[in-house]
Formats: sequence, structure tokens, C-alpha cells
Amino acid sequence: MADFQTSTQRAKWVFTPQKLAERYKAANQRAVQLLEKCGTTQVEVDASGSLTYPTENARDQAADKKLKPLSVDEERFMRAFYEAKVQEVCSAFEFPHKIQATALQYFKRFYLQWSVMQHHPKEIMLTCVYAACKIEENHVSAEEIGKGIKQDHHIILKYEMAVLQSLEFDLIVFAPYRAMEGFVSNMEEFLQARDDEIQKLESLLKAATAEADKIMLTDAPLLFPPGQLALAALRIANGVLGVVDFDRYLESIVSQPNSEHTTSHLSNLLDDIESLVKNYKYPSEKDMKHINRKLKSCLGHSSSHDESKKREKRSKHKSHRSSSDAPPNGPPAG
Amino acid sequence: MAEMEQPKKVADRYLKQEVLGQGTYGVVFKATDTKTGETVAIKKIRIGKHKEGVNITALREIKMLKELKHPHIILLIDAFPHKQNLHLVFEFMETDLEGVIRDSNVFLSPADVKSYLLMTLKGLAYCHEKRVLHRDMKPNNLLIGPDGQLKLADFGLARIFGSPDRKFTHQVFARWYRAPELLFGAKQYGAAVDVWAAGCIFAELLLRRPFLQGNSDIDQLSKIFAAFGTPKADQWPDMKNLPDYVEYQFVPAPSLRSLFPTVSEDALDLLSKMFTYDPKARISIKQALEHRYFTFAPSPTDPAKLPKPVRKQETKASYGKHEAIKGISPPRKIRRVMPEHGRPDGMKSHVDKDQQAPMSLDFTVLAERPPNRPTITSADRSHLKRKLDLDFQ
Repeated sequence: MADFQTSTQRAKWVFTPQKLAERYKAANQRAVQLLEKCGTTQVEVDASGSLTYPTENARDQAADKKLKPLSVDEERFMRAFYEAKVQEVCSAFEFPHKIQATALQYFKRFYLQWSVMQHHPKEIMLTCVYAACKIEENHVSAEEIGKGIKQDHHIILKYEMAVLQSLEFDLIVFAPYRAMEGFVSNMEEFLQARDDEIQKLESLLKAATAEADKIMLTDAPLLFPPGQLALAALRIANGVLGVVDFDRYLESIVSQPNSEHTTSHLSNLLDDIESLVKNYKYPSEKDMKHINRKLKSCLGHSSSHDESKKREKRSKHKSHRSSSDAPPNGPPAG
Repeated sequence: MAEMEQPKKVADRYLKQEVLGQGTYGVVFKATDTKTGETVAIKKIRIGKHKEGVNITALREIKMLKELKHPHIILLIDAFPHKQNLHLVFEFMETDLEGVIRDSNVFLSPADVKSYLLMTLKGLAYCHEKRVLHRDMKPNNLLIGPDGQLKLADFGLARIFGSPDRKFTHQVFARWYRAPELLFGAKQYGAAVDVWAAGCIFAELLLRRPFLQGNSDIDQLSKIFAAFGTPKADQWPDMKNLPDYVEYQFVPAPSLRSLFPTVSEDALDLLSKMFTYDPKARISIKQALEHRYFTFAPSPTDPAKLPKPVRKQETKASYGKHEAIKGISPPRKIRRVMPEHGRPDGMKSHVDKDQQAPMSLDFTVLAERPPNRPTITSADRSHLKRKLDLDFQ
């Protein structure tokens, strides 16, 4: 779909930084309250998308332990870790950038509604990759994805509906990659490029694609339209390669009749995106160890029994041992 | 729960009324949206424990309709899972164009035909502008609202087209509406396939019966060639390179006038442009809308004044194929075999290539009845699914 202007993404999924911070805070708070009230945060899901929240009687079992919730920053780390995993998984399957970007957007949008304490990000990450393939018409079966990375594919199928619903069924997502191609072919005209320059532009596009991959890991996709992400990626790459006079190119863009920006305004927006990339933080192993332990206890996954069951599943990957068959109201701690 | 006793509210919002249709994938029922007071149609699709999760056809329809908002595109109001079913809530539509065309009590004036075609092309032009191919255009998928407005529905096969080298499956459209390039197995195609189908719908409005009723893919091409003549290389240079191209015995084109004896020159000219063999030379929807047919008299009828089928129950709108509604199709009337049908049948010289021969038997046994409208739901559906899975890996 070529029209971002009338898209659900523009209407519903681009936020101000303040609004975004509020959303993350609110999602975290909901999980914190669940933990206080029920002693656990895990929300159970079934394949038809129905959700089962922990109840207060779950509290009795956990009452002896004082569980600490993840902070907003710790949640951010947790998401960053699994967002990087989205890219890893997609690269392992050699999926196009578009699918990777769609999966990342899905993942980011999902965690506007939920805390990582309510739905484990690993499961959501896999489901987002699966759903992105499906929606981008690059169909790969859940089983294939599961097998390829040695994960139980039933989890994917179990979460699919809940993920789709959390996305409010807004499934078409705009990524910067297509826009970048558009800008680069536009630059050819702008430069009235000769053959050698066309080659340089090709390498610019390649470098910018890698920059866009980095941008996709930040909050930028929830804050800026894809065209601006594309320009930011191109500007960063051009900063190294020096193929075009970027300021003059920006001027040529804003001088077009339908442009809403001035050069300086657009330039500031691109600065903002660049600084998000510069300030991007990926958790250290030590951070992750700590956060992961906390997350497991919040999700009620800390008992050794539960862990061994999981490990068994992973090593044997039996054909049918779907956790969705488990009674939804059973105690979450197992 | 005392669910059985009173009309129940689905998802705390929709007050269920009568069932409009029942089929393999689920049910369509009428309901009142208590939030707006409006009548809606809700399509229920079973979620089940499929190996492949949520029904891909339903997902395609949702993802497209969420972005496509236009007076001539069916409005998707809501989508939500509820008790093992995915529910799609649409604006309520009274009937569909097939119901109009078939109802012998409905008289369609040239201005009425123009109005229906105009609305069809407007909806389609919007899709193409958004780079969406509908790929299942047929009268049954053109729904008509209480205000006479026609809207494109059933986007379960729709695809975004963009990169020119992207390969698609050619198993799209119900056969009678399938463009010749698709019948020759083209995998790279564009908006022109929807134009051909729209041309078939235009012809069907004029003739009041499906125009090219092939009973197999091969027979479909025979019917097309019998109507427009076997294409020559200079008419369609790329034809010979298509994957399933086979040479057909040359048949000269009868005059288009002889097929449409009563229509205006303008209509005839537009028809011939929509039925151009070479997809690259075929008129675009945008150009078609600028054709003099739409500017010259008579001007199209105001939609609110368009004639509607009398027997409402028989022609309820179908809301797309994934429920494969049985109860909704009007009973087929016995019809005279039209004279021009005899001709193409006699020219079927490629029966050996015709892999779908057994299917055609189903139709020909009942010689007096028009063949059942082929849909992709029926025979080719499983094939299609397989194709889709393989195509994009």
C-alpha cells in the first residue's frame, strides 16, 4: 500500500515522546499492580485470543516471597534484547528487511499495551516474526520457524490471535526501506547522476539499509514516519560516504509543493532520530542476568520443576505437547 | 448463562439477529451495533486449532480493509476474536450485483448500467491508486447498500503490488472473470487483470448473463477467442512467452456489435478497450473513468433510484467467499442456451491439454442449466492455497 498519509500507522501508531513514555509507564504500572494483588504477573493466553489474568488466590502460594517488579528501564532492556533477537531470527531465515521491520513494529506495538512481565517477550518475539511473514505474504509455517530455531511452534500459534488483537488488527506497516529506495532514485535525478555516481548511490543505499536496521531497534519507528526514518538513515550513511550534498538535497525535498517542512525543521527531526540511535542502549550480560531472574519470578517461572519441563521440551521438541492444552485456570506457577 | 433465551450481545456491543448465511468457514449474521444503532453484518470465522493459525484469507481481508476507506469499498467496522471465532463486522448491505443482474423482474436501463459500472470502477480505481489488486472481481462480490451504493467486498485474495518483479499466483478470480494472461499462467501481472474482470462485469450488466462462461480454463480461453478472435502476435507480443501458452486454432473475431447488438457506440468502444488482449495496452481503470461513455448521455442513474431485486431474501449480500454461503445463492432458473455458446464449444480443439476435464462434466450434464458459477472456493481452491504457499518462499 503506497499511502502512508491515510494509513492506520499514521493515524494511530505514531506518538509524541511524552505519550510514548506514558504508555510504557502505564503498561509497567498495570503489571506492578497485578504483582501486588496476585503475587504473579503472567497473563495466560489461548489460541482463540482469550486472556486469563492471575487471580488473587494465586497470591497465597507466593505470599512468602516478596517479588520485585521490573522497572520501566529494565523493561526497556528486556525489549531491546528481544528486538535484537527479532533481527537475528530474521537474518537466520534470510527474510527480507521488510519482514524484519514489520516484525519489529508488531513487537513494539504489542508492548505498548502490555508489560514484558505479562507476556514473555521471547514468545511474543517469535509470534511477531511469524505474523509478519504471514502478513507480508512470505509465508513460512509456524512449524518451520519453530524447527529452524529449535523452539516449540505451538507457542507461536497459541499467541497469534492475542498478538493480532493487541495490534488492533492494524497489520499493514510502513518501513523505511521502500522509502529509501525512492529517495535514492530521486537522488539520481537530483545529481543527474552518471554511471560512477549511480554506483556510489547504490553503495549509499546499502549502507543506509544497515543504518535503518539500527534505527528500527530504537523508539524511532513509534515516533517518526517512515520517510523521515529513511532520510535519517541516508543522512547517517552519507555522512560516512559523502555521496551527495545532503543539505542541498533536503532543500530540494522541502521545496516541493506538497512538503510540510522547512529545511531546518526537517533537519532537526533527523537530528532527533540520529540521537536516538546514538543513545541506544543494549543490555550487558550482567544486566540481562539480573533482569531475567526478576522476570522469571514475576512470571512465576522460577520453580525448578517448571524449568526442567521447559528444557525437556526444548531438547526433544515433541510433536504435540501444546501448552495451550493446559487448563487456562490452573495456577500459573505450575 | 441464559444465552439461549434472549438475543445475545456479542462482545458487549452487537445485538445478534437472524443468520444471513451459513457455510464451511462459519456464519454471517445480521446484528445491531448498540454503540451506533446501525445495522451491521458480522462474519464469523472459526479459529480452530489449525496448523497454520489464523485464517490467512480473513487476515488479508482485515489488513486491506483497515487501510482502504472509500464510498465504494465495503466498510470494515470492527474485528475481534470472541469464543473460538474471529468476528468481522461490516456495514450491512442489502444485496449484490449478481442478484440485480439475475432478477428478471429488474429492468436495467443504459443509465442504470452506467451507474453500476461507474461505482464499480470508482472503487477499483481507489484500490489501484493504493496499489492493491482485488483479484476476485465478480458481480457476487459487489455489494449493494440500502441507499443503492455499490461497494467492492471480499478482499480475501487482494494483494499489494509494488515491486514489478514480484511473482504472484495466477490462480485468482472466478474463471469467467479471469484475464487471458492469467489463463496462460502469467505470474507477473498487474492492475490489468482487474480491468478485464470489470469488463466482464460490464458485459454481464449489458447481457444479463455471464459473458464468457468457460467450463474449464482451456474452455475459458476458447470462449474468449471465440468472442474476440484468437490474438495475433502483433496484438499481444508477450503472449508466446507466458508459461502455459499453447497455440490455439485461429478464429476470426466476430464484430463486437454482433455480440452486443443493442448497446451504444460509446459502451462498445469502452468494452473493446477493457477487453484488449495485451495487458500493457489494456485501458487502465483511471483512463476508463475518463472515457466518453461516462461523460456522454445518458448520465448515470442516481444510486438511490437504481432498481433493486424484488425478492430480497434470495439475494442477500454475501460478504465474501470465505464462508462459502449455501443459503444465500438464489435458486438457479432454467435458462435458454444462448446461441453464441454453441460456437465456442465446437472449437475446443485442445481437450488433451485440458486437465480439468472431469470438472467440466459436472456442468455439461445439466445441459439446460447455466453452469454453476465457478468460484475459487470450489474446485481450484485447494490448488490455490498450495500455490500461494509455494510461490513466496
